[in-house]
Amino acid sequence: MASAEPRRLTRPGQPARVLLIGTALVFLGLFLLLPLLAVFTQALAKGVSAYLTAIADPMAWAAIKLTLIVAAIAVPLNLVFGVAAAWAIAKFEFRGKNTLITLIDLPFAVSPVIAGLVFILLFGSHGWFGGILREHHIKVVFAVPGIVLATIFVTFPFIARELIPVMQSQGREDEETALSLGATGWQTFWRVTLPNIKWGLLYGVLLCNARAMGEFGAVSVVSGHIRGLTNTMPLHVEILYNEYNYTAAFAVASLLALLALLTLAGKSLLEWRQPELRRAVGPARDRTARRKE
Amino acid sequence: MSIALRGVGKQFGEFAAVGNIDLDVPTGALIALLGPSGCGKTTLLRIIAGLEIPDEGQVLFDGRDATSWPIRARNVGFVFQHYALFRHMSVFENVAFGLKVKPRRERLSSTKITEKVQSLLDLVQLGWAGDRYPAQLSGGQRQRVALARALAVGPDVLLLDEPFGALDSQVRHELRRWLRRLHDELHFTSIFVTHDQQEAIEVADTIVVLNRGRIEQCGVPSEVYDLPTSAFVHRFLGQVNELPVSLRDGRAFIGPIDISESTDVSATAPKSIALVRPHEIEIGPEESGWPAVVVAVRVIGPIVRLELCAEGQPAHEPLEAEISRERYEYVNYSVGQKVGLHFRRWQVYPANGAAA
Repeated sequence: MASAEPRRLTRPGQPARVLLIGTALVFLGLFLLLPLLAVFTQALAKGVSAYLTAIADPMAWAAIKLTLIVAAIAVPLNLVFGVAAAWAIAKFEFRGKNTLITLIDLPFAVSPVIAGLVFILLFGSHGWFGGILREHHIKVVFAVPGIVLATIFVTFPFIARELIPVMQSQGREDEETALSLGATGWQTFWRVTLPNIKWGLLYGVLLCNARAMGEFGAVSVVSGHIRGLTNTMPLHVEILYNEYNYTAAFAVASLLALLALLTLAGKSLLEWRQPELRRAVGPARDRTARRKE
Repeated sequence: MSIALRGVGKQFGEFAAVGNIDLDVPTGALIALLGPSGCGKTTLLRIIAGLEIPDEGQVLFDGRDATSWPIRARNVGFVFQHYALFRHMSVFENVAFGLKVKPRRERLSSTKITEKVQSLLDLVQLGWAGDRYPAQLSGGQRQRVALARALAVGPDVLLLDEPFGALDSQVRHELRRWLRRLHDELHFTSIFVTHDQQEAIEVADTIVVLNRGRIEQCGVPSEVYDLPTSAFVHRFLGQVNELPVSLRDGRAFIGPIDISESTDVSATAPKSIALVRPHEIEIGPEESGWPAVVVAVRVIGPIVRLELCAEGQPAHEPLEAEISRERYEYVNYSVGQKVGLHFRRWQVYPANGAAA
């Protein structure tokens, strides 16, 4: 009876269902799969050896290394920032909370190019801090620190945005219970808060990492495009493309695409290996629903 | 451990959650904080737990000022309405949590912890459920796990925030009796918050009735039920019928019934109401008492509830009376029947105080 009911309800909607699923699939195919396929076809158009040569190029290697370094600095920093911001917003009441939430969204709202220009304005040779930096022989703009700063700016909403709803829906009761049982703040964080948010956190980290590696606009402005020094992978791809070196451009692009695919595969694998994830969502939602009564 | 509150007050922004609260909880007492939602009962419990810091006043634990002690130092067990079990831990791990987070030199050995947790699970009749996860248990079972977890650290005080509020009535009834037995066996001091007067009367030694952040009345259940000091308490602890009191020629009346004998007429405000509980209405033959018509009869197990429209009273506000099933079967009232009403007990309050 219970199983027959929903089927009867959906039957009149059958054409609509087919139409919706079909539209989604066609759209995905046209705008995602086809370009992805094009990247790999183009990269391998002149054979595997040409592909490998293009990747083994020292300049390409330098770009790959720089991209990994930038991500390795930006992601952990945003991890700390994201957890701290989400914690503050979800668990405490304070003045200016809404302003903080709006500010976290700022990088989503402004164009990455403007983000890049802001850093030039601040740290460039004619910028506000340009003089001080020059005196101390510190180079920010057109150097690695500038790229890292721009990347952090562009990617900082990802983890916080992912965690805020998770933490808000869980409320404070778990932490309060842990404290009443004699746990220290630190123990409470590691044993109660972190396990509760780990999936949201992981997903945020994956998204943040993908964006950190793929960021073009902001990084392009502050990088200065110095080959082998300040070129990240996306910038390197553009340079190669502008030089009509399509095979090399697409070879490096295929690596970026591969990183993205690996990120997604990693996420799916985690979800698949942890059925607990689905189970964990249930009671949390249940609890918030009840609280609203 | 005895707990005392001295002039405790707490504001949330503009809203005064509780104000000027004085309360003494002797060691080993089982106290209910009773009141409607928004009366400040949960805030008061959280202040005792250390989850809120009062803006004014003192919290004393065994006479020592504990107002600024952190939660960890208070040695209180806190149980939430929605259990707050750690979802990623098994039932065993949940109960063991408080034992495992102790500093190394105070911590029991892991075999001792296992033994203790198992004995606690047996105590809450969940000895078989150690490996389960909270999501696999029913509401009543989850609440028992939460209790076992709170008891594991050997608290001096057990604080329960609407502990049975999310459970269905059968389970709730069982858990209430079980909590009472547990309290009698283990002799800790317990304070629980509830909006259910039945629950408070059934479980507690002392009931503290709160309204708008203030204590309205504090006493043993029978005292609070039978001798309410305000119309609010009278209304909150069970069903009441509200009837206007009229003053004529220096005498006081409810309807046509002269209550001057048992009422201090000179102290009665010109606008007063009498509150009468359903079981305090006596139904007699038509010729005697206040004439009324039976408008509805409902048999509820051992009692029978009658709705009565008394002469001169608005028809949409019938009085509610309760009689025993035996009496009902003997007299057999039917809808439309004419009867006469008497009141066995009533209490008179000034009408303006009624709104408070």
